Amino acid sequence: MSPVADASRAPGRQVAMVFDLNKCMGCQSCAVACKMLWTREPGEEQQWWCTVNTQPGRGAPRDWETMGGGYRDGRLVLGQEPTREEIGGGWSFNQQDVFFGGHGRAVHLEPRANGRAPAWGPNWDEDQGAGEYPNSYFFYLPRLCNHCTKPACVEACPNAAMSKRREDGIVVRDEEACRGARACIKACPYKKIYFNHVRNVSQHCIGCWPRLERGVAPACVRNCPGRLAFVGFLDDTTGPIHRLVHEWQVALPLHPEFGTEPNVFYVPPLSPHPLRADRSIDESRSRIPPAYLESLFGSRVHGVLDRLRRELESVRAGGRSELLDTLIAYEFRSLLGPFTREPAQIGATESGASESTTEAR
Amino acid sequence: MTAANDARTTEDRYRQRQEFDRATFGTHCVNCFPNDCPVYVFAKDGKVVFEEAAAVLGTIEPGVPDMNPMICQKGLAWSRQMDSPDRILHPLRRAGERGEGRWERISWDEALAETADAILDAIAEIGPEAVVLEATPEIAATIPAARFMAALGGTVLDVDATINDFWAGQQAVFGKFTFASSIDDFFHSDVLLIWHSNPAYTMIPAFHYMVEARYRGATVALISPDVSPSHSHVDYHVPVRHGTDGALALAFCQVVLAEGLADLRFASEQTDLSLLVRTDTGEYLRESQLRADGRADRFYQWHPEKGLVPADPAGLRLDFEPLLAGSLDVRLAAGGHVVVEPLLARVRRELDAHYTPELAARVREAHPDTIRMLARKVARGRTHIILGAGVAKYFHGDLMTRAMLLLLGLTGNWGKKGTGVGGWCSSLFDGHGLALAKTKAGRAGAREIYDGFRAMVGGLRAQDPTLTSELGDRALWRLVGPARGMMPPAFFWYWHAGFKERWNRPEWNDPAMTRSFDEYWKEALESGAWNQSASPPPDRPPRVLLEIGGNTLRRTRGGQGVLLERLWPQLSKIVAMDYRMSETALHADIVLPATQHHEKVALNMPTPWTMLLTMSDAAVPPAGEARGEWEVLAELCKKLAERAKARGVEDYSDRLGAAFRLDDLWSRFTLDGVFADDESAVAEMVADAVEVGNLPAGTTLETFRQQGYTRYAKWGFLALATAQASPFPEGETHAPLRDHVELGHPYPTLTRRAQFLIDHPWFREGGEDLPAHKEAPPMGGDHPFLLSGGHARWSVHAMNTTNPVLLETHRGKPFLLINDRDAAARGIRDDAPVRVWNDVGEFVVPARTSPAQRPGALTVYNGFEGFMFPGGRGHNEVEPGLVKWLHLVGNYGHLSYTPMEWQPVPFDRCIPVDVAPIQEES
Repeated sequence: MSPVADASRAPGRQVAMVFDLNKCMGCQSCAVACKMLWTREPGEEQQWWCTVNTQPGRGAPRDWETMGGGYRDGRLVLGQEPTREEIGGGWSFNQQDVFFGGHGRAVHLEPRANGRAPAWGPNWDEDQGAGEYPNSYFFYLPRLCNHCTKPACVEACPNAAMSKRREDGIVVRDEEACRGARACIKACPYKKIYFNHVRNVSQHCIGCWPRLERGVAPACVRNCPGRLAFVGFLDDTTGPIHRLVHEWQVALPLHPEFGTEPNVFYVPPLSPHPLRADRSIDESRSRIPPAYLESLFGSRVHGVLDRLRRELESVRAGGRSELLDTLIAYEFRSLLGPFTREPAQIGATESGASESTTEAR
Repeated sequence: MTAANDARTTEDRYRQRQEFDRATFGTHCVNCFPNDCPVYVFAKDGKVVFEEAAAVLGTIEPGVPDMNPMICQKGLAWSRQMDSPDRILHPLRRAGERGEGRWERISWDEALAETADAILDAIAEIGPEAVVLEATPEIAATIPAARFMAALGGTVLDVDATINDFWAGQQAVFGKFTFASSIDDFFHSDVLLIWHSNPAYTMIPAFHYMVEARYRGATVALISPDVSPSHSHVDYHVPVRHGTDGALALAFCQVVLAEGLADLRFASEQTDLSLLVRTDTGEYLRESQLRADGRADRFYQWHPEKGLVPADPAGLRLDFEPLLAGSLDVRLAAGGHVVVEPLLARVRRELDAHYTPELAARVREAHPDTIRMLARKVARGRTHIILGAGVAKYFHGDLMTRAMLLLLGLTGNWGKKGTGVGGWCSSLFDGHGLALAKTKAGRAGAREIYDGFRAMVGGLRAQDPTLTSELGDRALWRLVGPARGMMPPAFFWYWHAGFKERWNRPEWNDPAMTRSFDEYWKEALESGAWNQSASPPPDRPPRVLLEIGGNTLRRTRGGQGVLLERLWPQLSKIVAMDYRMSETALHADIVLPATQHHEKVALNMPTPWTMLLTMSDAAVPPAGEARGEWEVLAELCKKLAERAKARGVEDYSDRLGAAFRLDDLWSRFTLDGVFADDESAVAEMVADAVEVGNLPAGTTLETFRQQGYTRYAKWGFLALATAQASPFPEGETHAPLRDHVELGHPYPTLTRRAQFLIDHPWFREGGEDLPAHKEAPPMGGDHPFLLSGGHARWSVHAMNTTNPVLLETHRGKPFLLINDRDAAARGIRDDAPVRVWNDVGEFVVPARTSPAQRPGALTVYNGFEGFMFPGGRGHNEVEPGLVKWLHLVGNYGHLSYTPMEWQPVPFDRCIPVDVAPIQEES
């Protein structure tokens, strides 16, 4: 049995995701798909339920990894609630002034957060990374609610507003029961819960359950042009999720030491070989320091990277790799688990949904 | 979006957010890569609420990943622009100075009347050439605008030069550059060299194929000055000093030859390396030198038994192995002798003298072991160079490209799946070409053009039986292309926009020039090569600028400074039609509200990268008073006729004497109403394309609506399309140039071979007759940093730079990327404003510090509008916008102007600048 969450311990089934970080190019499509679909109402301006950040980096919210929460020695820990500045985003712009205000060059288009120049955003330190030229390095890390098996937010809520769905393990909130206590925000070690100051409730990624119940994959997965986001049931033994997480064990949880048993997993990133001082290439190493990756994914990461390298050597020598073929995902639909239904049936009628496009404008 | 209803449950509220009452297919009709993403557009209550990838594409070739989902963050946020605060909803007339941002709302009728009057004034004062449109890759706008301008006789500036997506080096070698692989063909490569490209930013829906190829066993290397955002998933990053990529490529070539790894059979057959050149001048030995009646476009190879044999212009197949070393003494017709040698011998000598890995190390930085390692991999495996448009924007980008192509030519790496290099092609759809040319509505009108073209090609091939079908198409394109109304903007910029002075600064230019820029210019014009296309001439200055979906002020290298100072004052009327306030619109006299993509019917850019043609439907009604381009231009035609009649003006002629009437302008433009609105126009284009076999039989606008896309049935009929020179792919990936390699078809070059020698005296004089390394000239003076750029991740050019959602995916403003140590040494903090300046101009921008940036280098990514910079002017201000004098050669074989191809184009990379922090504003 793998050391990560075994679905049979949790009540019901668990939908999980795997992100192959060797394919993520930081395009923000997942983040934008989610934003455009779910968080455009008043009070949701700063809510980016899915974010993609450059690592090493301070992430979103800024320095979230130091804000605490989760479990220590099996006990719930309440950490900080990120400030609005640390969350960033929700900017307003002065288009009216720039284009229609008659100020000419005296004004230029600029973002404002609460009337001031922003100090942070959902992707502020994009492409900065770490190291020293020419051996600097970075990769991209998509993050969203992990729909944990031991969700600290559910335990922390004083109003019993949060729960885990039986049918798929998605962690949801009854916003009618939520009183805005924000214990969930303090409890979540990933800081992926946001407060809606207009409605006085917290909100977070809902796992796209209104799409799942229609058989449609989450917006982030279905709109990932990198084809790196897998979704499916953890207990589906023939599916890629199970194989990557339990069988090949190359998909790892982020910060497993937080103790919440997240159900979003990552295939850790390889990186280009570094250059020596004379600019020759040191093929025995990768640029990202192993210690850094260990700080994110735990000590198992080294074995996983070695495994990936061996598979790559094998295919370079002309062999086949079932693992790499799974990560290639020859058919896009293999990324979607059972959620392969189209979000629209153009030309057909669904209940409460689309009409034929032959209708006149 | 409605506000939350307290009576509903949480579940109801979230379910409601994904509700829609109408779903249509859409796409984003712009110039990105790979383009043609089919999307679902969801509307509710007449407003677009969401869109997402349709992901409806099937597997093309078994064993190759499918192309789904084809989308990016820009597409996903597309609808946000429909009601963004910078959306233009009503016709506007400026009420203050140009650029002041003071407007008054006017009616469409007033706006069109004022526009028509200005056009008629310009025609009366100067001629129709004084009405200028800068073509743009906003494809839904470009086709109607070009057709309108043709009906009017106005000047259309060539889009491939104004945006500079023209790879001169590819044209120099292949005689064409509008060919490219399909993106799934990358999966077949053993070696992917990402060069002058940042695919993590610019090839978002194609990027996965690069990693998937790696998972299949390919080696991926990135060659770039910085640790670019595309470095994360490659095996090797090879840093190079800006502009030294040619030296690196030539070092690869030297290793390939020195270690006996070259595919000499391929090189002998497919390239000019087996042709004989004179050792005195370095030029080809030509038949005209050996016989009094000999042709100047006939060349020789060296048969081991027979000696000199003519190189067949009709086919490349060899039944012997040409000698590739040694020399031969030849008697000349004019008397005397000359010693000749195979071109490869000369190339080898120069590579061994100047470009061994150790010698090249002094020029660029790659370690000799790295050069050898990569050269060997390239020689042994199927290699594709993912060559970005970045190379086109370097002064010596053509030299760099020619060097890279030499590497591919020596290793047999094109014309086969998984190999090669691509250029820019958006000509696969005949509906566009026919819409531009036809003079009668309906299928008969299309047939007339199509059959006429085919007959002309037939005639040309009868005259010259050495022409293949493709070469016949190209011969025709060379004849009729330049007359089709698109002009190389070099002439406009030089004569009318103030660039003559900039281009004549020898201290900014290549020191190899032996004469002033003006002397080369004069000689080029006197050659007659540019007679048809050097327009508008000096005595026909511009008066009206029409901007339809484009953004002259933002994109012109050389900046606002020169255009506002020199061009703008000459213009009596600037009319900008767009759905958003661009920099150009801000500085216009009249602004017209255009429909956004989801408010009209249009077809996307027809490229070979996906082999798809996608359609964007009118998902919702136009916002405000927005109207589509076909409709507006049709109305403008009517207004022109009406105003002309009031003035008693009936007709006019252009500088070449062609006559134009005004009373029938509407019926000529719309063909009695067919092109009077977008839906009708698209239906006509589709029907025409089916008629000539370009789209599958049965394809209609309705089938597009049901499926969102179609694949083609065959290549388009223009040379820009048949440049693919490969079998039309059925059930497989597309790799271009296969007909040359598999069938021995000649190339459209002077020598009918892939050509590495350009034996024109200017090239020789400049040290560029063969691919070579030359340092980038100091375009902007003597300053310690080099400013370069690239296309941005968060916008296709400028059109998404002000999308409020996308602005939050970065810092919401422009930035200057500077190495962290360079910044510290100059007291520059992250996010603090800095001043950047050189001898051309200056601008202010916030800094972003990173160890990923190369020391001594600065980057500002392309697309930020001037109004996003403090002070209102951006990085264009420090770019002189130089062109390369050698691109003025217009009468050397395949180096001649055809629309969207060979012409002088402006550069914006490797600009010397200096940078310093400035005080924060209080």
